Amino acid sequence: MIRDDDQPLEPELREAARAYHEPPSVPRDAVWVQIQRRRAEQQRRWARPTRRVWRWAAGVAAALALGVGIGRLSVRTRGPAAGASAPTVATSPAATTPAPTGAASTKDEATAYRLATADHLAQAEAFLTLFRASVREGHEERLASATARQLLATNRLLIDSRAGTDPRLRLLLQDLELVLAQIAQLAPGRGREDLKLITDGLEQGGMMVRLRAAVPAGTEMHFRQGAL
Amino acid sequence: MDDRILIARVQAGDASAERELYDAHVERVYRLVYRIAGDPDQAQDYTQETFIRTFDRLRDFRGEAALGTWICSIAVSVALNGLRRGKRLRAREVALDEAATASATERRSEPDLRDRLARAIDDLPEGYRVVFLMHDVEGYTHEEIGRTLGVRTGTSKAQLSRARAKLRRSLADFARG
Repeated sequence: MIRDDDQPLEPELREAARAYHEPPSVPRDAVWVQIQRRRAEQQRRWARPTRRVWRWAAGVAAALALGVGIGRLSVRTRGPAAGASAPTVATSPAATTPAPTGAASTKDEATAYRLATADHLAQAEAFLTLFRASVREGHEERLASATARQLLATNRLLIDSRAGTDPRLRLLLQDLELVLAQIAQLAPGRGREDLKLITDGLEQGGMMVRLRAAVPAGTEMHFRQGAL
Repeated sequence: MDDRILIARVQAGDASAERELYDAHVERVYRLVYRIAGDPDQAQDYTQETFIRTFDRLRDFRGEAALGTWICSIAVSVALNGLRRGKRLRAREVALDEAATASATERRSEPDLRDRLARAIDDLPEGYRVVFLMHDVEGYTHEEIGRTLGVRTGTSKAQLSRARAKLRRSLADFARG
C-alpha cells in the first residue's frame, strides 16, 4: 500500500474516480431556456408597481415600529429617575424632531433592520422547532403551511432590504427561504416522506443551529413585550 | 474574447453577450456541479442558479480572479448549499464502516471497486471531497482551487492529501489485492 498521500492515486483508483458522478453532455439549450425564463420572471416581479408600493409600505411600517421600539427601550433604560430630560432616541426618528441628522437616521435605520431581522429569525426558529416536533410525533400540523407563507413573505422582504446586504445573514435568509417555501407548498394529506425530507434537510443544513446562533437569547419575547 | 469586453457588453444589456458568456462557461460549471451533486436534475438546477447569480452580480466582479474562476466559485457555493439542504444525497449515504466490514474478504478483482470508491468519496468531509473532485477528477490546479474556494493553495494541497489518505484507507483491501 502506498503511504505517501501526496502521490497521485494508483491508476486503477484514479480510473475508478473518474467514473464518479460522471457528467453526461451538458443540456445547454434546456438550461439556457430555464435561465431566461427565471430572469424574465424576476424582472417582471421587480417591475410590478404594486409590489414596490407594498415594499415601501412595509419599510415605512418597519421604521415606525422601530421608532416606537427604540423609544420604549430608551425610556426603560433611563427609568423614572431620568425624569425631566427627554429620551434622546425616543424623540429622534419618528416622533418630534423634524429632521434627524444623516448619521443618526442611518444608525436608527440600521438598528431597525437589525431588530426586525432578529424578530423574524426568532419567529422562524420557534416555528421550525414546533414543526419539527410535530412531524416527529406524527401530528397533523394544519397551520404549518399558512404560517410558513407568512414567514416567507417577511423573509423575502428582508432579503431584498438592507438586512440582506450582510453576506452571512443573506445566506441564512436564502436558506431559510427554501425551507419555508417547501413547507408552504405542502399540500394537505402529503406523505410522511415529504415531511421527513424537510426535517432531514433542516438537520443536515444545520438550519436550527444557524438560526439559534443568529438570534440573541430572548429576542422574540422581549420584542413582543415591548421591551425593545 | 477579453472577459472585460464581454462583461461590459453584458452590462450594457447585450443579450447575445449573455449567451456568449454562458456558452463559454457552462460546460465547466455543469461538470463541476454534476460531480458534486451526482444528479442530473440537481446539476441543471445548480447550473441555472449559478448563471442567474452570475448575471445578477456581474457588477460586483472586480477581476481579481479570472471570470471562469469567479463563476466556478459561485457554482461550488450554490451546489454545496443545495446539498446541505439535504435532498437526494442522503439516499446515497452508506456508512463506510459497514461497507468495509461487509467486504473484508473482497479483493481488487471484484467488479465493485467503483461503487466502493463512490461511497468512500461520498463519505469524505465536504471540503476534502470538493478538493479531491476538482483536482484528481476534473483536473483543476491547486491555484485554481484556492481561488475558487477562497482558501490558500497549501490548504488545498493538504485537503487533497488527507482525502487520498482516507480513500486509501477505505479501499485498503483493494490496494493490497
